[in-house]
Amino acid sequence: MSIVQKHRLIASLLVYNGDVVQTRRFRPTNNVGSAFTAVDFFNGWTVDEIIVLEISKDDAHLDRFETIVEGLSRRCFVPLTVGGKIRDLDRVQTYTRAGADKVALNTAALQRPTLITEIAGRYGSQCVVVSIDARRNPLMPSGYEAVGDRGRVPSGRDARAWAEDVVRLGAGEILLNEIEHDGDKRGYDLGLVRLISDAVDIPVVAFGGVANWDHFVEGVRLGHAHAVAAGNIFHYTEHSTKKAKEFMTAAGLPVRGTTFYKVAMPRRPSYKPF
Amino acid sequence: MVNALSCFDVDVSVVESGAKLADAGRIVLPGVGSFDAGMCGLAERGHLEALRNRVLDAGVPYLGICLGMQFLFEGSAEGSLAGLGWLKGRVERFVSGPGHPKVPHVGWNEVDIAPSSSLMAGLESPTDFYFVHSYYAPLAATETVAVGTCDYGVRFCAALERDNIAAVQFHPEKSQLGGMKLFQTFLNPGQ
Repeated sequence: MSIVQKHRLIASLLVYNGDVVQTRRFRPTNNVGSAFTAVDFFNGWTVDEIIVLEISKDDAHLDRFETIVEGLSRRCFVPLTVGGKIRDLDRVQTYTRAGADKVALNTAALQRPTLITEIAGRYGSQCVVVSIDARRNPLMPSGYEAVGDRGRVPSGRDARAWAEDVVRLGAGEILLNEIEHDGDKRGYDLGLVRLISDAVDIPVVAFGGVANWDHFVEGVRLGHAHAVAAGNIFHYTEHSTKKAKEFMTAAGLPVRGTTFYKVAMPRRPSYKPF
Repeated sequence: MVNALSCFDVDVSVVESGAKLADAGRIVLPGVGSFDAGMCGLAERGHLEALRNRVLDAGVPYLGICLGMQFLFEGSAEGSLAGLGWLKGRVERFVSGPGHPKVPHVGWNEVDIAPSSSLMAGLESPTDFYFVHSYYAPLAATETVAVGTCDYGVRFCAALERDNIAAVQFHPEKSQLGGMKLFQTFLNPGQ
């Protein structure tokens, strides 16, 4: 039996050296300030999930990132996915203790695929998101290669074959980005999204390149993505997630509603800049 | 859970022993892990008797969440220990395999809300809530108490109310404004 699952709209925050940044082709471009302000905005509106990824060069800012994750989970009342620098179960535990409902991993999984199985074994597949950063490579059977280390180290793995592998290894979900499309405002790489979505039977989250609401609709309609994510577009647009949802609804896609309930939360943590 | 409840004008404490439940004006029991481990944990901390005293005898409002809902029944397909048994019937497992939706049931799903629900008064029907579970309370066992139902291959009881006892299978603390509204109603029924 197939259940009509609603398409999720996911807001992603990229944290570089302790600050939320926008990126283009996997390079940070500008600082957009506090993760807490951003999440306060998403939260009051209608985003279905939040993904926060640590994308610094090295581990020097991980303590600060943990503090950010803890702060986010105090004000984020939707499922929270946390990724970045996950190499073993200890880091998964750190993130889940800090409030992550799911973890996203990439580079370490490419190097040691059984890590996926280890995490799924302890936390369940629903907790494991494998992030695949792909880049066009005509030498690969599917035309795309999976790339590790923040888009900098080609893995030699065909992106589609890798997606099929991670499903077998126990991943519950795939977060899919195409490096050249990241921050490039052309929308998702729909060819890639469809290639991977059609190859696996777990949800694929399209990410990277969204510049207008229609790109979300394309991701689902043409890319066959189960869920759609974006970062940059949400930062500067007021009520952006609500508008995105309304656009998707008007386009005929099943999404969670945008009903606003006024709830008095007198003790909710207030915004404190670092 | 504590993070979510702490947004309201209430003092939240995590009680490690049943004796400390005596002071509670409201009791929320979230569940993590498995049925037997959870019931063991409740027994070890002296919560079983304290819950009976406070909730059944003294009428303190109770909100069970996820496993905290399943504990109310006589038992569960997940374990061999007895539940609290305040409600008749047993918790069942979703059928998995070809022709059935994936287990566990993870994600947002619509809950049809009965007009009689006090906990979800003010929420539209249906409202989407966030679920993570493999076991559910069947409607056959909850006919008289179910105030919210959800369809995941089988229609099951997503929310129930009986006197001062309320319980939900979904996670209000992950269900954004709908969930926070539910907490507000539970904590301040007058508002």
